[in-house]
Amino acid sequence: MFFRVMDKARIADLVRGLSTEYEVIGPVAKGERFTFSVIEDPADLRLDFDTTILPPKKFFFPPEERMMRFRVADNEVVDDEAFASPRVLFGLHPCDINALLLMDNVFLGEFEDPYYKAYRDATLLVGVSCSPRETCFCNAWDTDEVHWGFDIFLTDLGDRYFVSVRSVMGAELLDRHVETSPITAEDTAEFQAVVREFKRAFPAKLDTSQLPLLLDAKFDDPVWDELGERCLSCGACSMVCPTCYCFDVRDDLDPDQRSGERKRVWDSCQFSEFSAVAHGQTFRESRASRVKYRYYHKQWGYLSKFERVLCVGCGRCTHACLADISPREVVTALVEGSEAR
Amino acid sequence: MTASTTYRQLKANPYRPWPARITSIVDLTEKEKLIEMRLIDEAAREAFSFDAGQFVEVSLFGVGEAPISISSAPSKQGFIELCVRRAGDVTSALHQKQCGDIIGIRGPFGRGFPFPEMKGHDVLLVAGGLGIAPLKSLINHIHDDRHDFGNVTILYGAKNPSEILFRQQFDMWKHREDFELIMTVDQPDETWDDEVGLVTKLFDRIDVDPARTYGAICGPPVMYRYVIDEMRKKEMDADRIYVSFERRMKCGIGKCGHCGVGHQYACIDGPVFNYWEAMNLQEAI
Repeated sequence: MFFRVMDKARIADLVRGLSTEYEVIGPVAKGERFTFSVIEDPADLRLDFDTTILPPKKFFFPPEERMMRFRVADNEVVDDEAFASPRVLFGLHPCDINALLLMDNVFLGEFEDPYYKAYRDATLLVGVSCSPRETCFCNAWDTDEVHWGFDIFLTDLGDRYFVSVRSVMGAELLDRHVETSPITAEDTAEFQAVVREFKRAFPAKLDTSQLPLLLDAKFDDPVWDELGERCLSCGACSMVCPTCYCFDVRDDLDPDQRSGERKRVWDSCQFSEFSAVAHGQTFRESRASRVKYRYYHKQWGYLSKFERVLCVGCGRCTHACLADISPREVVTALVEGSEAR
Repeated sequence: MTASTTYRQLKANPYRPWPARITSIVDLTEKEKLIEMRLIDEAAREAFSFDAGQFVEVSLFGVGEAPISISSAPSKQGFIELCVRRAGDVTSALHQKQCGDIIGIRGPFGRGFPFPEMKGHDVLLVAGGLGIAPLKSLINHIHDDRHDFGNVTILYGAKNPSEILFRQQFDMWKHREDFELIMTVDQPDETWDDEVGLVTKLFDRIDVDPARTYGAICGPPVMYRYVIDEMRKKEMDADRIYVSFERRMKCGIGKCGHCGVGHQYACIDGPVFNYWEAMNLQEAI
């Protein structure tokens, strides 16, 4: 990895330059909140954003996506080409970059997913540092730092950015589009000071001691029934989650009924029919069992395969939940006991 | 299948069904048909090999996909036989198909029965209802290598005599010395002169040498606990009792999440698990 410093005023040059070669997508204001959108004017880019409503997964795994076109008569695939145009995702926080790395394990591992891969291969990632809000708990999973998976990462030093360059492509683009200078010892010292301050700014660190074990040991804990009473099964937590990857597959016929499209759409384990088999039996009928399953899979199921938890502590589900259920509350109840909440 | 479709294209996308032509359809009962098919692409056919207990996704464009376990023996190269109960949209549409029609197949997927480890041992197979379909693949496979196995016992329970699947084959097996088959039904009719009651009742009639026996169980979810109890009473080891789970294996490749069972996915980690593994899967049994 090599490093540069860049004057903050130069960010517009970089975005404008990248726009000549790529579609540039970044955080923009939407009402009082933020969303990842195509950047038409560099002035719209809001690198001071707290978080976006939806995570960047929508650019790699869209809410609804065509998988293939088909012909009914001979049950044949007409087109299953995965296509993505070159683009830059500009302004990802460490949690969101780490979330993509967790998604990669599922979609790019065994049985590689050609649709996700096409989007992933066509997309460069530019990260940016952040400051924690009260719902952030990325430090509980060590996803407050990111060490690979990005092309360029910008750490805010006030009047300038400390630029970490991870890929050849990142280095070339930086060189081509913006003026930067070599780092000095003072820059590095200031970078360290910013990082220290960032780490200090978090709310109390979530205790995750022995969480995977406790999920089994306290499988019948009454906390799940309490949570089940409150949960509305709306699935919002899954939709806003940067690491929830479950999907349903649907065939949509054209009006002539002779051809159509097979699509996949986001799905959620919080919906009662999620686990239903052909003759109607579902394996998680109660809301309590579904709320529990979401945590059980994220903190143990995924971990048992990939040695990481399937959560990056972004806090989006806390904001989205209409019943005020938060991972902080759930994990604390399990680790410290219900009375600690 | 169009001439332009190549094996490379099929291999490049795990969601893309491989065209297969239906070669035979046998009506088994009112609800079940035995459908045999053959992959059309030659390279795909040669590449398609499976273990007893694995499943395929049957793909009918415009309707959807359904996971169905293979009931033929792995040794029957080039052909895939599925025992299909009319239960949902896809299986209902599949029941409408004729010989010669083209359908889509993805797979084989999942982990089947540990055939190589079972060799040299006695095998006790217990099936309830449609659960006989994946076990039939294993039974046929054992039959192919019969001299490699000790005693092979099949306990099979069905709701009533008209719902017994593969009856002809069973009658044939019944007359052979190398398989012991005991059947039971819940609701007998006037033609029935065999056992009546649950499949667990049949354990009184068999001798099991726990040191040299593997178990294989497949049936409705409610059956597992009781059959496992019987096998444990016969002192069989937990890690030699194998069960096959039915879950909603939608993608078949560990992505869509619908078949989650405990901390695993039935589609890639199962659907066959041994009882020790299954005990460690929350809400599995």
